[in-house]
Amino acid sequence: MTTTNQTISQSTGQTTDWNALDTETFRQTVRTFFEQNYPAEMRYPKTRLRWAEIKDWYMTLSKKGWIAPSWPQVHGGMGLSPEKLIVFIEEQERWGVGRAPDMGITMIGPLLIQYGSEEQQQKYLPKIIQGENIWCQGYSEPNAGSDLASLRTDAVEDGDDFIINGQKTWTTLAQDATHIFLLARTDKTVKKQEGISFLLADFTTPGITVRPIRNIAGHEEFCEVFFENVRVPKANLVGGLNQGWGIAKALLGFERIFLGSPKQSQYALSRVEEAAHALGLFGDQGFVDRYTQLQLDVADLSALYVRFVEQVKRGEKLGPDVSMLKVWAAETFSRLANLLVEITGGSGAVAGDIEVNGKKIDVLTSFYNARPATIYGGSSEIQRNILAASVLQLRS
Amino acid sequence: MNSDYLDTERQDNIRMLAESAQTFATKASPLTRARGLRGSASGFDRSFWGKLAEQGWTGLLIPEAFAGYGQGFGEMAAVVSALATQVAPEPVVPALVFASRAIEHTGNGDLQQQLLASIVAGELIPGVAWQEELAGLQVNLLASAVVAAPTNSGIQLTGEKHHVRPGADCDGFIVTAKQGNGLSLWWVPANATGVKVQSVALADGTSEASVRFDGVMLDGSQCLAQGDAATVAFTRAYDEALVMTGVELLALQQAMLNMTLEYLRTRVQFGKPIGSFQALQHRAVDLLIQQELTSSVLSQALVMLDGADSNAFERSAMASRVKARASDAGLLLARESIQLHGAIGFTDEYDLGLYVQRALVLSAWLGNAQMHRRRYANLTQMNTASV
Repeated sequence: MTTTNQTISQSTGQTTDWNALDTETFRQTVRTFFEQNYPAEMRYPKTRLRWAEIKDWYMTLSKKGWIAPSWPQVHGGMGLSPEKLIVFIEEQERWGVGRAPDMGITMIGPLLIQYGSEEQQQKYLPKIIQGENIWCQGYSEPNAGSDLASLRTDAVEDGDDFIINGQKTWTTLAQDATHIFLLARTDKTVKKQEGISFLLADFTTPGITVRPIRNIAGHEEFCEVFFENVRVPKANLVGGLNQGWGIAKALLGFERIFLGSPKQSQYALSRVEEAAHALGLFGDQGFVDRYTQLQLDVADLSALYVRFVEQVKRGEKLGPDVSMLKVWAAETFSRLANLLVEITGGSGAVAGDIEVNGKKIDVLTSFYNARPATIYGGSSEIQRNILAASVLQLRS
Repeated sequence: MNSDYLDTERQDNIRMLAESAQTFATKASPLTRARGLRGSASGFDRSFWGKLAEQGWTGLLIPEAFAGYGQGFGEMAAVVSALATQVAPEPVVPALVFASRAIEHTGNGDLQQQLLASIVAGELIPGVAWQEELAGLQVNLLASAVVAAPTNSGIQLTGEKHHVRPGADCDGFIVTAKQGNGLSLWWVPANATGVKVQSVALADGTSEASVRFDGVMLDGSQCLAQGDAATVAFTRAYDEALVMTGVELLALQQAMLNMTLEYLRTRVQFGKPIGSFQALQHRAVDLLIQQELTSSVLSQALVMLDGADSNAFERSAMASRVKARASDAGLLLARESIQLHGAIGFTDEYDLGLYVQRALVLSAWLGNAQMHRRRYANLTQMNTASV
């Protein structure tokens, strides 16, 4: 333990205080690094990249110390302020940098930093940073979607272990993962939310089967994960027994802020902009009006995003109001995807790229990516239910 | 409003000012006062203006060098918001932000000194006469048809301006005029020979004016700025007024949403509060989202206006973003609040209408949402082209 701490503090001793840089210098630093190091052929990937494809880039960022921009430096992150984080994301988007399987960076990492034991932090966080462990999230089940708390995968105590049985589904990139964090029922006698625990499992544990599911875009981005008498040590319990729902809700906060980032919308906006230039639409006032409206929807999304990120940085808990960020982010993205299909007119149904005035336009990827955006992480309808009940005090 | 970017001490001061302004406004300006003044001769109450001066609010934004209190936009927003929540009809943003700032940004020492001192004292209510288009989305910010031209007997001001607030009982105008190929800013007292003020009734019971200048003779001492200096001063004041109008629109949005939520929680139909129905809940949430988008972009804009590290382009783009979001969201809240109330929301007796009608006025004033989206598009295109 002491050794690890020393290593960490030694490495932090060498890290840069990014927040001390002025915004332009920081932007240029990030931009130059992306331009010089991110592989040109992988810019603007159409689908989620698989681990085999993006591994080298993940390791490049890891060695540079940039793999976890939002984590505190003491845990190997860059410790970026919200403003700097936004710049980092903007530059990623500008250069079309692909998203790695990043559940470790964006979800379980921040969660362990907040709720994990010191042992869990030391066991898992460095391996996320180093790209040794790839995480996936096991929440949804065939009969527990919007009503997540009704989940039935159970974990029964047995000596120093839990024995897990059940099935998870819509598990993104589970086929590339080495670990899963999951919600399992540990008490069937109490109210459904009060009998759930938050567990970690290594995919090498016997009894786990992963089966990819093909989506309508033809890609295998999510999976089913089956658990058959899977034995995990009690040390893999995060937080207390039966405290999983509260922790999951906190993680949903992290998730909603992550899913609420302007990233996807900024990406879609630049695709629309590119297509509109190729199609000569910037001379069309009807188009320009709609484009500008969406451009401002994205700009104001960024303002809303910064406000919630600030709250996190101050160490305050995210309230149920963060749901509005997820709704606005996903629905703005969806409106942009619609516009792309609309402006390509008769080519709006072509699978693969179309070529207009020498410029390749990918019409349908944004359309397809926008479909799950309003479903996963709590559908737009569920988010509105949460906002109505918990923020507006409108009770059903 | 969210003020995360400010230091704690300033945040505390602003919070305290907001509380005392709200206490004052609730007591001194109940909704019955706003209701009673609708359609009156000037549409507002000059004696209430005196109370604003007593509070020190007529000089809040004006630098100490000009006898004001030298506070920032964060502080001014607290006052503006409190008065807007009570639908107070006094022309606070037109006179104390738009006109005052235009005067402050110019360099005519004597006139500046004299006008600002009178404004601080609550004795002078000025307006800005800048807009030449009566209707439509093509709005030229700088004067084109109103001209300040030399004649044998001196400089003469000719032409007509529209949408000037306040539209009655305004003591004088800062007039934008074309002079040669550039812009000039003039101070023209309302009672000057050749000035004709035609009041136009507005939806909220206040008024705006179309002001004709029929060969008004101008003295050099009335000139506030010329050329680039005039353009810079006007544009800056205009952008500041846009943001502060956004503050008013946000206050109206919040008031309308609160009223609507209260109604949804208490109005019973089919044996339950109507707010228990999911169809209505989701519509209410969409209003919340628009309100919070307005609030988020506004808090960034206020920090930008109070800070020193933005340039003119950034301020203009941000101000247009604010006005576009705040106007659209204001009108959405207005329409949806009526719908969620049902017929009662459409009655004159119910207070919702006061907010709805003020939102209509402020959404249209200084350029509506669509006009500001176009301005934003032009600004950002110009910016991209110049990089």
